[in-house]
Amino acid sequence: MTIRQCALDCEAFAQLKHIYENREEIPAKMRADGVKVIGKLGCDVPDELIIAGGMLPVQIYADPEKELKETNVYLEYAFDPMVRAQFEKIVDGTYAGQIDALAISNSTDVLIRIYLYLRELHRVEPDKAIPEVEFIDWLFTRKPMHEARNELIAKIFWETAERWAGRNITEGEFFEAAKLCNDNKAALRRMQALRCEGRISGCEALVIIGAGFFMEKAAHTELVNTVADAAAQWPVIDAPKVFFTGSNQEDTSLYEMIENAGLLIASEDHDWGARVYDRDVNLDFTPVRGLADCYMLREFSGKKAFVSQRVAALNREVTQTGAEGVIFYTNQYEEAASWDYPSQKESLEAAGRRTFGLFKMLWPCDRNEGLADAFAGLAKSMKGGTD
Amino acid sequence: MAEEKVSKSAAVKKLQATAEASAYQKAWFADLKKRVEAGEDFAYLNADVPLEVLRAMDIPFVVNQWWAAICGAKRMTRKYFGLLRDAGYRDDLCSYCATAFAESLDPDDHKIDPETGKELGPWGGLPTPTIAITRLTCDCQSKIFELFAKNHGADFYVIENTIARKAPLNWFELDEDRWEELYDEDRLDAAVWELKELIKFLEHKTGKTFDMNKFKEVMELINEQEGWYKKLRDLIAECHPVPVTVVDTINAVMQAQWQRGTRWAADHARRLYEEVKALVDKGEAAVPNEKYRLMWLGRGIWTDFAFYQRFEQKYGAVFIWTMYLAMGADAYIRNHVEKDPLRALAARYIGMEDFLHMPPWNSQWYIQQAKQNDIDGVVYMVPENCMQAVEGSYFIKKALEEKGYPVLIFKADPVDERKWNAETMGGLVDKFIETRVIPNKDSKEKEK
Ligand code: SF4
Repeated sequence: MTIRQCALDCEAFAQLKHIYENREEIPAKMRADGVKVIGKLGCDVPDELIIAGGMLPVQIYADPEKELKETNVYLEYAFDPMVRAQFEKIVDGTYAGQIDALAISNSTDVLIRIYLYLRELHRVEPDKAIPEVEFIDWLFTRKPMHEARNELIAKIFWETAERWAGRNITEGEFFEAAKLCNDNKAALRRMQALRCEGRISGCEALVIIGAGFFMEKAAHTELVNTVADAAAQWPVIDAPKVFFTGSNQEDTSLYEMIENAGLLIASEDHDWGARVYDRDVNLDFTPVRGLADCYMLREFSGKKAFVSQRVAALNREVTQTGAEGVIFYTNQYEEAASWDYPSQKESLEAAGRRTFGLFKMLWPCDRNEGLADAFAGLAKSMKGGTD
Repeated sequence: MAEEKVSKSAAVKKLQATAEASAYQKAWFADLKKRVEAGEDFAYLNADVPLEVLRAMDIPFVVNQWWAAICGAKRMTRKYFGLLRDAGYRDDLCSYCATAFAESLDPDDHKIDPETGKELGPWGGLPTPTIAITRLTCDCQSKIFELFAKNHGADFYVIENTIARKAPLNWFELDEDRWEELYDEDRLDAAVWELKELIKFLEHKTGKTFDMNKFKEVMELINEQEGWYKKLRDLIAECHPVPVTVVDTINAVMQAQWQRGTRWAADHARRLYEEVKALVDKGEAAVPNEKYRLMWLGRGIWTDFAFYQRFEQKYGAVFIWTMYLAMGADAYIRNHVEKDPLRALAARYIGMEDFLHMPPWNSQWYIQQAKQNDIDGVVYMVPENCMQAVEGSYFIKKALEEKGYPVLIFKADPVDERKWNAETMGGLVDKFIETRVIPNKDSKEKEK
């Protein structure tokens, strides 16, 4: 199943796939044309402000093939493997040639450490080719003061974006950018609805969503809408629907393994999937209020929420998706969600849903022996056979 | 802190103040249990929670890390992590912070062994808390605390955490008087707001009233107590050989630190200082053949204090420094409390984790401390499974070694005896002393 011929035959999808597979192409071209490119680490960096400043936001991603020469010097073993590989590209000079600055949000504790380490590296080894780093320190607990503080955090990042842009960013520019981003999310939600109908596979969805990290928003929105128009006619995938919760999936390899086993990933809660189009910036609010509201009140993430919040969030998301089962999958050293799992599992199973938990997984996923067989067993049992 | 098994193990301690603190702690805990049994609210706090507020409000509390150490010393870890596993949780995560949650799964915690008549839970088990408070200083802590609170039927409360944008290298020179220079102003503002919210929550929950005069008194008592630790740290630093080692100071200081803000704790700190000073005056040495002065970075090995003494006879290598006394000396005092007591407390609690876990604050302080204490080698334990304690070991090692202090890094777990192998770790330290510390000191002396 994975990426089907009907998708490949769609010109818009093919374009998105090309961008997804050639992630440096558009940013490099835009940079050559004088557009500043801003790297983002973490899922809570406001695209709206970067775009309002006439810059291109791109997501930092890992190269699983790269030897971790620098990372092994600087990072302890407790950093998860994907973050380690991302760090390698930041400190070995790769990103210095691709981005003009790096914004890191406190989306997980690991990223906070990465920020502190990069800041310290700038201080103690200033000759290293590491882009300028800015940190975005949202508060995710939901109290009025935290909202007020988040408005301050938005203001601080606004000033940084202006410095990077080399000019003031007006409110008008902000609202225009916020609308672009909201439109993009709306297009992705159209695509999500088709996923839930079984017309778009999880792998196809990852490509459609992920391409947006490496191109202009308006162009992405247009392509996503075109794909959604076409996908309404794509055949419905006949496979048990599952929800994927856990580690970010920066490429389709794990989804391919799961979907090749005969399952359909109808949605997920990680940062390279459905979380991207979770909440709009409210254009009726002031800009900083709108930003604080959007980034503070998105669905509870696995990293920054209490167990009860995560149980409720997963129940909500799984219900919306109509998934029959949930795959929990976290990489080695990505521990926080492990504390949620027993309560989530209990709650989901009480509602008659299958759960399947895999923890301490090696990254990339093909390093785990017997994984494909495990998914095949799950698929078989969900289809009514015995696993 | 881990006194029970510690004294039964080979660790040799000599201070009256340590024994006194242990006895006090036992009596205090027994009294706390009575108060809880009588129906008072009882709070369970993570170590980075500003306990001063609860102290001022006379709300009984226990600190998570202190209790984890008691459980570790009582060798409960194996049982507790079995309980976690049985309940579907991982048993290899967050051992330090998850101990009390694991204990809350133990049906025998408050029971007596019918055959031996002994209490089955550590110190008879943790009384049932009605309040559980933590800060959001790592991704896991709030989850663990919420689970713990749920198991006990306690109210769960969290305090937010912010990250320093401004990081002047000399925090230890600024924190006592010039904290407005040390921190970003908005972080202090936010922390004061958090304190006010905490007070509101506690007043509502317990029906008790927060009294600012009482709070100031608590803050002043803490200044007094920590002032004695400063004098003690300075005294030990200047003595060659040292009168006491970390085995003496960790327990004596830590137990009183959790009682900070009481008259007893301030007096205990004074008595501790006076006792050590008397040893100095008598010319007593902890290890008469002291040749090499070692610094221990990281949490204490609560399950095996004797480890610290293994190297004394063989090499004359003495562990003289841990963060426990030195943090008391450098991180807690806030002068001029009366100007704005809540802001003074904010200026204490928001820095506490960062002083230890944030580069460059940790590395710069360790250099200054290594210098003051005339350190010859640094042994640095990086915990296996704690993201909060991932604190830039590369930068710490680099900073210290560039200043001429050899560093040994090893991985271990401070409370999980399953992961502790004294022979292997001892072998590493032996080798480190032989191949790095001794030659380094020899060459420094030749240079002199
Ligand atoms: S990551 Fe560390 S500080 Fe956080 S809960 Fe786990 S052991 Fe405790």
